[in-house]
Amino acid sequence: MSELLLVLKREFVERVRARSFVLGTIAFPVFLVAVTVLPYLFNRGGEERTVVVVDETPEKIGDRVAALLGAEPETEKENRYRVEHIAGPMDERLRAELDGRLLAEEIDGYLLLPSSLLSEGSATYRSRSVAGPLVIRDLRQAATRAVQAERLRQAGLEVASVAALLGGVSVENVRVTAAGTEGADAMSSFAAAYVMAMALYFIIAFYGMSVLRSVLEEKTSRIAEVLISSLRASHLLAGKILGAGSVALLQVALWIGALVLIIGQIDTVIPDFELPPGALDAVAVGPVVGITLVAFFVLGFFLYAALFAALGAAVTSEQEAQSFQMVLMVPLFVPMLFLLPLTTEPLGTAATVLGLIPFTSPIAMPMRMAASPLPPLQIAASLGLLALSVPLVAAVAGKIFRIGILATGRRPTIRELVMWLRMV
Amino acid sequence: MGSALELEAVSKRYAGHTAVASLSLAVPRGSIFGLLGPNGAGKSTTLRMILNIIARDEGRISVLGADPARDHAVLRRIGYLPEERGLYKKMKVIDVIIFFARLKGVPASEAKRRADAWLERMGLAEWRDKRVEALSKGMQQKVQFIATVLHEPELLILDEPHSGLDPVNQEVLRDTILDARRAGRTVVLSTHNMEEAEQLCEHVCIIAGGRKVLDGVLRDVKRRNRGNRYAVVFDEPTREAQDFMERNRLFARVEAKRERWEVELAPGAEPGELIRALTALQTPLARFERVEPSLREIFVHHVGAGSPAALRPEPAHV
Repeated sequence: MSELLLVLKREFVERVRARSFVLGTIAFPVFLVAVTVLPYLFNRGGEERTVVVVDETPEKIGDRVAALLGAEPETEKENRYRVEHIAGPMDERLRAELDGRLLAEEIDGYLLLPSSLLSEGSATYRSRSVAGPLVIRDLRQAATRAVQAERLRQAGLEVASVAALLGGVSVENVRVTAAGTEGADAMSSFAAAYVMAMALYFIIAFYGMSVLRSVLEEKTSRIAEVLISSLRASHLLAGKILGAGSVALLQVALWIGALVLIIGQIDTVIPDFELPPGALDAVAVGPVVGITLVAFFVLGFFLYAALFAALGAAVTSEQEAQSFQMVLMVPLFVPMLFLLPLTTEPLGTAATVLGLIPFTSPIAMPMRMAASPLPPLQIAASLGLLALSVPLVAAVAGKIFRIGILATGRRPTIRELVMWLRMV
Repeated sequence: MGSALELEAVSKRYAGHTAVASLSLAVPRGSIFGLLGPNGAGKSTTLRMILNIIARDEGRISVLGADPARDHAVLRRIGYLPEERGLYKKMKVIDVIIFFARLKGVPASEAKRRADAWLERMGLAEWRDKRVEALSKGMQQKVQFIATVLHEPELLILDEPHSGLDPVNQEVLRDTILDARRAGRTVVLSTHNMEEAEQLCEHVCIIAGGRKVLDGVLRDVKRRNRGNRYAVVFDEPTREAQDFMERNRLFARVEAKRERWEVELAPGAEPGELIRALTALQTPLARFERVEPSLREIFVHHVGAGSPAALRPEPAHV
């Protein structure tokens, strides 16, 4: 047993010391922050633009566009516009003048409202570079509203009363759980299921391959001979899997810790950053669900790590390993293909079956659980099947490992693998 | 003293060929035992069966009084240097050594103390905290040797320990093997370097094609295999002496090395006959002695082309 712990400790320490672990631990939260916060930072608006409106329309729609665009924005996040209003037509001289001012950076762009604006509904904005989405949105809104108002006026309708008649209805999407109602909307639980499934998939695949490479290293360097002449193969295998598994758990814990810290501090770093309401509700799980999720992760990791270890012992080179590990990852990836049925119909047939098969349940069950509360019996059955299959798979993998890690020469055929299973 | 290691009719068959066929041998405690044989003779397979790395098909193995296939604990008292060397490339030198020592049951602090002493002795002290991959191949071999002996095993099993070492390091290795013997340990080494074996081993066993060709105490092996060879040395070889040595019906073969002649007596000829003839010469005789065959000669004679072992038909495939 102490030998098992020594192997475990070595696997743990060497992995945590490796540069890839430090990078991975930092990179993932940075990546998450980058994809959520950066677009917001780049797009936050609040800037001032100088825009010339050239109006060719006989209806003088430009007056209204200029007034709407130049109005003081409701919040500080919006852009403000200084508007210069020129009555058309746009001739060569005017265009040359505006282009000159544009290049001299006196103005940010000019909006041409052609005489056919009311009938054809299209205008042109020219600027030095392709305009940002916020500017285009503001221009489109102002022009659209001005044109709509003019059309309504020509039809003899009043803008305010039409707006009142067309007022919309909002639908609130409330998830019902055993703990009572929650405000989380469908989008956020879908996102939570997606993020969780991706995270589980990558961690199991990444650390599974890491076990494979480590077994292969011992095999090709013949360290295996010294190890097998010092401790039992089963202890070696268990130590390797537990070592890699504890690093995976540590990494996940560090990630969750970093995320909690970032979410807690985000208001002080970016004062007006607002998470959509209910965005975190789907992630905030109770202790029972939490433990269940950890159980699925740990058992799922054991299942796949044992298979990866057996594969590492059976192949003879990295190249061979790469082509075969894709085969191992297929069942792991299957739940990702069923993301929609798993999250929208978590109690449907596809979701139930994927939740029971031990090779797909470690990914499928957390996805279902993020989408909807599941009958406890289903969770228990799924966990039970998984827990039963781990020792079975580990026993088969262990035999392949014991013989394969010492075998030299070419890769065994399937027939030889079956023979190995009978041997030990 | 008894045997540190005993094999009784041990066999290992692979699909298509027999690697080891009914091999029996005994290694006395405290001796240096050489397992000799050409490439593919079954040396490594034998050593791996002793260590329970591969399972034997037949026979009985007793290591330090225990069967390693049943009593796993006995493996802790063995140090094994495999033929193909390998260490964890990314680990620090000191960490690798301590890891292997701890696997064999040495406490951490003791392992560290011994590792530092050994690194010092092998001239690797400054490499202590470097990664293994930064070391030259020869240095890595020394590190692996340290890892093999650090737990002070009662039985050392070294598979081709000298291969890949430069002459200086071969010397270092020889010294440490002799030290181990002085400390009362048993050393089993496989090699096809006969000069090395001749210098180190007290007991030898030559195998070929998975079968034992001969074994025993090196001195006895030499005695049994010496044949009818004698050396004749004159103080000043005269014309008379030369004529006598080069035209003599007593000799089956003559080899001249300046003032020294090595002769093989013809069948039926007696050494006494030769001595009488030599003393009857005018030229004074300086030395007359029996020539011991070198281990290399014995080896080549027994397993070389045309030898009994080489001529023996391969056992039928299973």
